[in-house]
Amino acid sequence: MNNTFISRLGVQALLLLAVVSLLSACEKPPAKSVQWGYRGTGMVDIEHPATMEANFAANQVPEGLPAADPSGPRASEVYKNVKVLGDLSAGQFTRVMLSISNWVAPQQGCAYCHNLANFADDSLYTKVVARKMLQMTRHINSDWKSHVQGTGVTCYTCHRGNPVPAYVWFKDEGPRTARGYLGDRMGIGSPKPSIGMSSLPFDPFTNYLDNKENIRMAATTALPTGEDRQSIKQTEWTYALMMHFSKSLGVNCTYCHNSRAFADWKQSTPQRSTAWYGIRMVRDLNNDYMKPLTEVFPAHRLGPTGDVAKAYCSTCHQGIYKPLYGVSMAKDYPELQGPSPNAAAKPVREDSAEESVVKKSKKAKSNTSAKLETDIGITAKTAAN
Amino acid sequence: MIEYQNIFTRTQVRNQHPHIVPMEENTVFDRSSGSFHLYLAGKIGNARIGPIFLGWFGIASILCGVIAFEIIGLNMWASVNWDPVQFLRLWPWLALEPPSPAYGLHTPPLREGGWWLIDGAFLTAAIFLWWIRTYRLAKQLGLGLHVCWAFGAAIWLYMVLGFFRPILMGAWGEAPPFGFFPHLDWTAALSLRYGNLFYNPFHMLSIVFLYGSALLFAMHGATILAVGRYGGEREIEQIIDRGTASERAALFWRWTMGFNATMESVHRWAWWFAILCPLTGGIGILLTGTAVDNWYLWAVKHHVAPSYPIIPVIDPLTLPGAPTN
Amino acid sequence: MAMLNFEKKYRVRGGTLLGGDLFDFWAGPFYVGFFGITGTFFTILGTALILYSAALGGTWNVWQINVAPPDLSYGLGLAPLKEGGIWQFVTICAIGSFVSWALREVEICNKLGMGYHVPFAFSVAIFAYVSLVVIRPLLLGAWGHGFPYGILSHLDWVSNVGYQYLHFHYNPAHMLAITFFFTNCLALALHGALVLSATNPGSGQVVKTPEHEDTYFLDLIGYSVGTLGIHRLGLVLALNAVFWSAVCIIISGPFWTKGWPEWWSWWLDLPFWK
Repeated sequence: MNNTFISRLGVQALLLLAVVSLLSACEKPPAKSVQWGYRGTGMVDIEHPATMEANFAANQVPEGLPAADPSGPRASEVYKNVKVLGDLSAGQFTRVMLSISNWVAPQQGCAYCHNLANFADDSLYTKVVARKMLQMTRHINSDWKSHVQGTGVTCYTCHRGNPVPAYVWFKDEGPRTARGYLGDRMGIGSPKPSIGMSSLPFDPFTNYLDNKENIRMAATTALPTGEDRQSIKQTEWTYALMMHFSKSLGVNCTYCHNSRAFADWKQSTPQRSTAWYGIRMVRDLNNDYMKPLTEVFPAHRLGPTGDVAKAYCSTCHQGIYKPLYGVSMAKDYPELQGPSPNAAAKPVREDSAEESVVKKSKKAKSNTSAKLETDIGITAKTAAN
Repeated sequence: MIEYQNIFTRTQVRNQHPHIVPMEENTVFDRSSGSFHLYLAGKIGNARIGPIFLGWFGIASILCGVIAFEIIGLNMWASVNWDPVQFLRLWPWLALEPPSPAYGLHTPPLREGGWWLIDGAFLTAAIFLWWIRTYRLAKQLGLGLHVCWAFGAAIWLYMVLGFFRPILMGAWGEAPPFGFFPHLDWTAALSLRYGNLFYNPFHMLSIVFLYGSALLFAMHGATILAVGRYGGEREIEQIIDRGTASERAALFWRWTMGFNATMESVHRWAWWFAILCPLTGGIGILLTGTAVDNWYLWAVKHHVAPSYPIIPVIDPLTLPGAPTN
Repeated sequence: MAMLNFEKKYRVRGGTLLGGDLFDFWAGPFYVGFFGITGTFFTILGTALILYSAALGGTWNVWQINVAPPDLSYGLGLAPLKEGGIWQFVTICAIGSFVSWALREVEICNKLGMGYHVPFAFSVAIFAYVSLVVIRPLLLGAWGHGFPYGILSHLDWVSNVGYQYLHFHYNPAHMLAITFFFTNCLALALHGALVLSATNPGSGQVVKTPEHEDTYFLDLIGYSVGTLGIHRLGLVLALNAVFWSAVCIIISGPFWTKGWPEWWSWWLDLPFWK
């Protein structure tokens, strides 16, 4: 046993220690895999069973309240200052109220939104917000079937027992940089879970899910036509958004795309179509429901630039390819499925010119959605075969 | 055991008066002193470290290089508001980014890509000055210029990425950033934007030469080590006066694959394969966005892309009455 | 008889691993040996299977021919020939062929009194292939995880497997492998160039010595690894490139199912600076 032998042993031991400790940052086999492309293309999802179990446990649907009697006087006759749910029976109305407090404020109870001395009073901002949220929920379930299909949503889908959903986003101008001539981050270099901890642009949401900037960036012709002037930097912004899609659904890029031709719809999966409607839905909700609430929220509920909390994919999906594994809560809540034929939903405030335009386009969308839903239905069925 | 496989040197020799070729001119830089020995280096190759010949070009190159390095580092540090802990923590994610493509080829403000441009200038200067060194040192020692031309191939790729292609595309913003993860993001984004770079034939060629270089150096390195007992590593002597090392090495490959190189020609295989990697790669990058906008569609046009049985999905944007973007 | 002018004296009997004198002969410039027979068998069979698959596939365009692995649903079993079974047999033939080649190289080393460095190096490459089509699929529970045999189709597989992890560049073993590949390319260019520059010094110059080579690199970068060292370095760089490539794909899936950028969270979350 000479020195070189011992030192060599020591080096080997050190190397082994390094390898083992780095591997401990990894997961252990076995993993489960699902194939959704032609064999050999590599369009596969691989999941770790421990992750799957944890996800399953965290995304269970709570027990709903027993159905209420739809007969009897309307809520608008029984209670004061009922603006959205007036068409429901008193029993249905109470059921919705109890459910909301279970789903949104289980600890705080009715007092979270209501002045307990006068339930009709609108003095708490939470009540005003909740009213808008009820309209939003009904809107999603009736006008966005192209995305939520027959499953629909309830307050629980986003809130999951929290007054503020765990997954919302604010406009992010990035961490503080130095003033002066150096150090502009140019929108990158702040790793966040919403963009998968990459160094891609850390706020793609303002551009794509609040504003309606163009997400598509690959050329549609082989040779340049001189028209398509999307840059590599713009592509990074789209990529950041796509990272979010993957993280929020707990899937990878091949869930929707064949990466040899990301842009080509013919080689994409049906899920991509559903996601396309999801983007439009999120833009609609952020612009028509969340942003009008900016003045209503107190300062501590707003973002660093004073903007309101907004939705993205994580808000509902929370890391699962279908929120709550596709279990429908809305089917047990006809109260939340759409505007009642009895009374049109009244807005929170007087209609501004903008809002009446928005209402008109929403109506047009409802007509189109039905047709698109049929098309999507056909496509999905074909894919299943 | 591994010592007998010609991997590590068992006995290291220390030469008091090492044979260094004297430089006739420029006696300012004397090479008889300024070196030391490193035992660990001697286990693999020569133990002697130094002296380096810097000269004016060398000093200028290092100066420009250090300035470029500092500009990148200081900008990164500034981007975390001069916090030293966050600098270390976030360093892999930080970058010195080129300007927005909106600035085109104009000079942007310092904060918004101006530093990137200045840095590129200093780095390019450093590289070209170093390149001149490879030329001058070869000339001074009476060697051929093969190293100089090899380095030129690498410089070609560097210039395509940071200079020629951005100019052809009309924007500095098309060039990659300086940053560990960010330059990888750029690489992925380039492929995403231009229809998957795997379908770029020059990218294919470049990879062939990259993997081929690995194959070749494994083959050549292993062969020389395998005939080390016959003095195979004395390649110059074996080239001008073929010995049993070269003969066995050649026959090994002739018997294995039916043909062989010579002690000299294997180095030509090596040189060309290694150089063609950045040369073809640079061509591939240069054509991307300028001559071809989507490599996958280009491949489809040229009947190269395979097809798979699929169920096509309809682009919702093309459906009648679809909401616009 | 396709022999070099100095070759005859080297063509000696012996050094075989299997078969003794039975297959100890040359065919033209090629040494045959027992493993030359097995290798030829596997190669012909494998090639025939590929051609059969191409005939079934509907195209003879060399860029588009694709021998695809089975669906994942077949797990680790044998799939019907037309549903991926051909791929499985081609894989067996490929492994048989590569291993035969390596063992044939060992026999040739024996004859020529050489070290086993070349077959050792080739074994690392075989390991990389086997890790892609055997080890990783075994760990994931289905042969369908192997890559398809087709010039462009195998690139589609690489692209999609990469995007399974959202941004494969962030895979640390992949980074290491690429670094080794690029460094190897640099080193090969420098080594080829250095030897050629000494033996082809330009008109009016005499052939130079290893001392010139050493001086050039000492002057240039302050260190010259030397004639023996560069070959060790080159071999080590090339083998590490291949080894870490194999590692980077084995860990993707069996040992990591999330996006690779997320793996770096351990660095960001170190307790003293979180």
